[in-house]
Amino acid sequence: MFEGLRSRLQKVTGSLEDSIEQNIPPESAPAGASASDAAASTKSEGKDPSLISRVKVLITDREFIVSEKDIKEPLSELQIVLLENDVALPVADEILHRVKEDLTGRRRKIGEPLHGIVVNALRNALVGVLGEGFDLVSYIRGHERPVKILFTGVNGTGKTTTVAKVASYLKNQGFSVVIGAGDTFRAGALEQIDVHADSLGIKIIQHQEGADPSAVLFDAVQYAKAHRIDAVLADTAGRFHNRANLMNQLGKIRRVMNPDIIVYVDEAVAGNDAVIRAHEFEKTVGADAVILTKADMDAKGGAAISIAHTIGKPVMFLGTGQGYDDIVPFSAERVVDELLGVDA
Amino acid sequence: MLDRLGASLKDALKKLAGKTVVDRAAVEELVRDLQRALIQADVNVRLVMQLSEAIKKRALEEQPPKGMTVREHVLRIVYQELVRLVGSPGEVRLEPQVILMAGLQGSGKTTTTAKLARYFQRKGLRVGVICADTFRPGAFDQLNTLCSRVHVPCFGDPREKDARKIVREGLRAMASAEVVIIDTQGRHALESDLIQEIIDIQAIASAHHRWLVIDAALGQQAAEQARKFHEAISIDGVIITKMDGTAKGGGALSAVAETRSGIVFIGSGETIDDLERFDPDGFISRLLGMGDLKALVEKAEETLVTSDVDVNAMLRGKFSLRDMYSQLEAVTRMGPLKQVMSMLPLGNMQIPEDAYDITSSKMQRYRVIMDSMTAAEMDDPSVLGSSRIQRIARGAGASPEEVRELLHYYKTMKRALKGVRGGQGRFAMQRMMKKFGGGT
Repeated sequence: MFEGLRSRLQKVTGSLEDSIEQNIPPESAPAGASASDAAASTKSEGKDPSLISRVKVLITDREFIVSEKDIKEPLSELQIVLLENDVALPVADEILHRVKEDLTGRRRKIGEPLHGIVVNALRNALVGVLGEGFDLVSYIRGHERPVKILFTGVNGTGKTTTVAKVASYLKNQGFSVVIGAGDTFRAGALEQIDVHADSLGIKIIQHQEGADPSAVLFDAVQYAKAHRIDAVLADTAGRFHNRANLMNQLGKIRRVMNPDIIVYVDEAVAGNDAVIRAHEFEKTVGADAVILTKADMDAKGGAAISIAHTIGKPVMFLGTGQGYDDIVPFSAERVVDELLGVDA
Repeated sequence: MLDRLGASLKDALKKLAGKTVVDRAAVEELVRDLQRALIQADVNVRLVMQLSEAIKKRALEEQPPKGMTVREHVLRIVYQELVRLVGSPGEVRLEPQVILMAGLQGSGKTTTTAKLARYFQRKGLRVGVICADTFRPGAFDQLNTLCSRVHVPCFGDPREKDARKIVREGLRAMASAEVVIIDTQGRHALESDLIQEIIDIQAIASAHHRWLVIDAALGQQAAEQARKFHEAISIDGVIITKMDGTAKGGGALSAVAETRSGIVFIGSGETIDDLERFDPDGFISRLLGMGDLKALVEKAEETLVTSDVDVNAMLRGKFSLRDMYSQLEAVTRMGPLKQVMSMLPLGNMQIPEDAYDITSSKMQRYRVIMDSMTAAEMDDPSVLGSSRIQRIARGAGASPEEVRELLHYYKTMKRALKGVRGGQGRFAMQRMMKKFGGGT
């Protein structure tokens, strides 16, 4: 997952290193035999990386300062990489800013491994943006039950499938689950979630098509209370954030069922619009956690970074396929380490 | 955010006004703003870079034709390059044909299939639909429900797991239909067995058109996905869905570039009539955050068969209650008011939010109230004094407050439309672009 972003990021850390390396002042090379050795090898082999590594070994106790100018070019390359990987423009700017802050003006011992510095700067920036994950299982353990979880998002991001997956995940963790079929609008939605609930063997509360979703979800919560169920998963119809009436309806659902967690579902393949709609959902109905779906589509992974940065809420799960088990808990550190190729 | 982009683009253009030679700094600023606008609209980063290089090069190297100002010269280049980027609309023939729908999960294939069926049906063709989505639960119910609402036959079998078999049987069952549309399950480029499935379906159906459905919000991933689909079944048209959100649909341009095809339709709402033919001018306006008058007029023309609303009269500021009445009548066909308004080149003008938040039930009330008005009152609302309002309220079974609210709404609408007409400068750019676009 996120293969594309990973390989590109690794390339950029490489070029950041190179441009910093090239700035090691030549006079800092120690005099004597080793210097002429170095000069000789420069002549014969040109820009042989082995030269750099030899110089690096020879110089152990000098320091140099990374200047903004040194890293300007690789940074603009990094920007292109981020943009090409669906990180929204304002967010990409922010990340670059952080990396620049972190790198420029840094005094560094020559002996200190370069890779570490560059990767660290990028890693800190990305982890800072992605934030911590959200551990649903321990949340439910430490919380009064039933834990009510409301799923929101725009059309076609995979809310219904995600509800089924989370239901299956929780069931496998030993929790009892009930699903509230709050998508009463889209044709076929009731049949869809019905089939999921059936094959998972999970109780589903539903009314007929066109019913008030608030009423359905209220009933689901009542059912859970009466039957001592651990978690209520409330599906809703997809809606666009610029439809005042539909967003008001969501506000009503929130008032009526009073969810403990509002999960905002979006797809990992979304582009710049991810930022706008995440912001609108957060503003009008709130969001406590994010689930990113379709991460298996060779997604660039930028949407995760954009959304997490915009609403500052943790990513709970990644959806990675069409099966019920294709869902993985999200950990920012692990994703970033994987992206940057750090062995954690 | 995007409105600001449109505004900053206009600022950059303003700087070119009145110049006698092309100012390098101003061109660079314009290109930079253009880049930001396009990247935020999810246009492929490489495409944006190519485009901005071409614009910069042409703006600085080409001599402005005699009699053309620097600003017009640069605008013309920007427009021409954008048109090249967007491509020409894909062809839609009103003749017997088989159409195969393809796309990622959740991009809106099923909804679009129903909309297309409706489109061809309204053009007078016999349409049949085949549901070859054998994976997603409820897919057949969804398509069948949507189709039966408009009386289009839908073939499918929720218990059958073999999409190829369904297509084979479906084509036989739909032999009498002139246009057959095959809906397929969502798939992405890495699912090789599903890619193979759609290749097989195409081999069975030998569809005349293979249309790729792209979510307007799809980002940089669009190019890669489109290429794989193109390799598999040779895509010859792209449909952009969910354009009623805030997404700009720039991702679809990558798909167009990869498949060397054109955009055929744009989906912009949840009802079955929310499908428009692709219009490059309108699309460009939207990419850059500027309104588009043309799409509105076209849409009005198509929905208002009996020409109940004289759009041009409206834009000249002659907007009477009678116009509003027919507008309210048409509004269910035309889509939500906000969607209609968003197509007007209102630029940065602020339309009061409450003008949009008129629910359809309120529309019904307004119509009832207007039914109690006399013809003279409908033509000239200024005669409405408090005694007339009393009479109308009694006649419609409404309160006088409701009647006043209606009049307030009417005034808001009238003001908004006046703004459109008055703002010559706001769509001068567009007119100019059209003029020059046609000339070359």
